[in-house]
Amino acid sequence: MAFWEIIFYWVTLVIYSLAAGGFIYSFVFKNPRVLPRITLLVTSGFIAHTSTILARFQATGHLPWSGHYEYVLMGGWFIIAGTIFVGWQNKSLQGLAVATVPLVIIMMGYGYMQNPGLTPMAASLKTVWLYIHVYFAWISFGAYALAMSAGVLYLLKSKSDLLPVPNPAYEKYPSLDRLDELIFRYVVFGFITDTIMICAGAIWAKDLWGSYWAWDPVETWSLISWLIYGITIHLRVTFKWREKRLAWLAVAAMSTVIICFFGVNLVVNTSLHIFQVR
Amino acid sequence: MSKLIKKLSSLRFTITLICLLGVMFIIGLWVPQKSLVKELYLQWHKNSPQLVSFLDFLGLTTVYTSPITVTLWFFFFLNLSLVIWQRIPLVRYRISLSEKMIVDPERAAGYSFSTSFPLPQGVGGENVIAVLRKKHFTVLGNADGFYAVKNRLSPLAFLIFHLSFFLILLGGVISVYTEFIGYLDLAQGETFRGEPGRYNASPRPKLPSFGGLPDATFTVKSIEPHVIGNTPTSIDVRLLDGRGGSHTVGINIPYKTGDSSFVFKHLGVAPLLVLKDAAGATLAENYIKLDVLQRKPDRFSLAGCNFTATFYPDYMLEQGKRASRSMEFNNPVFFISVERGGKKIGEGIIPKNGSLNFAGFRLEMHEMPYWVRFYVVKQRGLPVLYTGFALATVGVIWRLLFFKRELLGAVRGSGGARHLLVAGRSEYYKKLAEDEFMELFHNILGKGGTVS
Repeated sequence: MAFWEIIFYWVTLVIYSLAAGGFIYSFVFKNPRVLPRITLLVTSGFIAHTSTILARFQATGHLPWSGHYEYVLMGGWFIIAGTIFVGWQNKSLQGLAVATVPLVIIMMGYGYMQNPGLTPMAASLKTVWLYIHVYFAWISFGAYALAMSAGVLYLLKSKSDLLPVPNPAYEKYPSLDRLDELIFRYVVFGFITDTIMICAGAIWAKDLWGSYWAWDPVETWSLISWLIYGITIHLRVTFKWREKRLAWLAVAAMSTVIICFFGVNLVVNTSLHIFQVR
Repeated sequence: MSKLIKKLSSLRFTITLICLLGVMFIIGLWVPQKSLVKELYLQWHKNSPQLVSFLDFLGLTTVYTSPITVTLWFFFFLNLSLVIWQRIPLVRYRISLSEKMIVDPERAAGYSFSTSFPLPQGVGGENVIAVLRKKHFTVLGNADGFYAVKNRLSPLAFLIFHLSFFLILLGGVISVYTEFIGYLDLAQGETFRGEPGRYNASPRPKLPSFGGLPDATFTVKSIEPHVIGNTPTSIDVRLLDGRGGSHTVGINIPYKTGDSSFVFKHLGVAPLLVLKDAAGATLAENYIKLDVLQRKPDRFSLAGCNFTATFYPDYMLEQGKRASRSMEFNNPVFFISVERGGKKIGEGIIPKNGSLNFAGFRLEMHEMPYWVRFYVVKQRGLPVLYTGFALATVGVIWRLLFFKRELLGAVRGSGGARHLLVAGRSEYYKKLAEDEFMELFHNILGKGGTVS
């Protein structure tokens, strides 16, 4: 890792951890007044996160594309960028960071333990399809993470609403009706970008490996994940699955994405998608 | 019969099939597959022959093409066909447009959003309609009663998206039956004229059920790998085709001719080795293709001697042991071990343009060009497949982002004041659509609407 990269990396982790702690404080001590400050913290963390990426870019000459460390660095950036963007568009959605920030902290911690060494851009990544395939993968990951986050918020808020005195910390968040629809909206957005990611990946694979589909473990798992979200959309539109069932589904479906991005390579070593430099 | 069709076309059946396919795919991830990890499979077969034979019998070691999976796919596409067929009238109804759709907003059924706005001075119903048209609504009627719809044709995208699956299937089937796959090793300076015998014997080439072998002629003019540290950053393989045209092949850049692709797969070194006797007479001379860049030794024979070669691209001695500083070709060296009649007769280092003396022989390395392995694949059906991908992308974006919104409106007057009554509905969303409609009319008329 480059010198400034290490500095900004730790600054980012500390700020995100403070933000996550702030959310816990807000919920446990039923204090919604700290929420705007937490949003400020998340934004500061995002600036430090961006600086980490820029410091690495300066050292390697390319954006972080390869290896688990770079993957979570950039993937986490997209998740937080999405969180800040939706929170900026609609203030009541700033609370989505309650689940996305801890997720990014875990991802960054995991990435740090992998291969953070500085490496040049591998030949296999020098193609325009990288931008389409990987960017859309990150965007879909971010959207699914937001759907999961909205699901978590829905479940917490609905539980709080059952109490004789609901926790005021949830008052600033959207109503349950709106959260329910937001889960679906993020799932839909993730599904669209996921579709583009898979199609672009197949076209890239044809040029890189000679085969557009090879039942590679990561390919297969991404198809499973796509099918799960496809089922989620059908359950919502046709079977009218809403509220808690949809929220649980959004949380559970996220596990397929996490398995696809991180889990497969932990248990299978035959994947061509090694997310490593070769 | 109608009961069976109803069952086969139900969404419950679709979801069951998708879940079962998912289970098959997960099995494919855990059970070593013959076609994907053959060595692992063979090792496993050796260790647990009964279990593997049983799984073979069930088709679980070739899960993606097993009869169970193929049957599931068959029912999936049957289900999809029936669903599409049944949905066509519904889609036609949903995209239809008629004056009958203009209904009193106060009594319209199925419109969850209902609002009334006081009309400011100088603003009439026609102004509202004009603004709606500007915002890409199609509007029927007039200020006394209108129906406005945005993204009316969106339900068509349902058909496009689901039909794209059939194109992907068709493209895939055509590809499978017209597919040739073979591996071809060519060194710098070698010419390929499409001879079937030039393909590597192992793995055996896959011949197409329909169509011929790749028809290509070219000469490998140069091979230039580029490595920084331990990372291959690029490779330039220059080919000269039969018509004198020059092509550069690299990672991500295959040589394409007709339906055939020559994909760069592997790099090796092919040194020109000359074996001489003690008198200096040449016993053997050949370019030897050695697969040594993965830091594994490779073997070859010359004039009755068996050689084992280990390659160090950036040779150095580390604590007295042979090592490579990096994967860069800064100081390429072979460590050669020689056997004859089962006995080791010599070993030593041979650098580029250097030599090694052993047991009265002399092995010289005159030059060290590279060789490449091409993954040669010929398949028709890709245009159909890619069209399927494009339609799937267009369909999913159109259907899920540009969904249909409908509005009913009418201007009513009471006690000298005029109000715009509005009812609205949207596909997929209720509350978020209400927010959207409120924002739309606030932009047109200013604040003051009340949702009921």
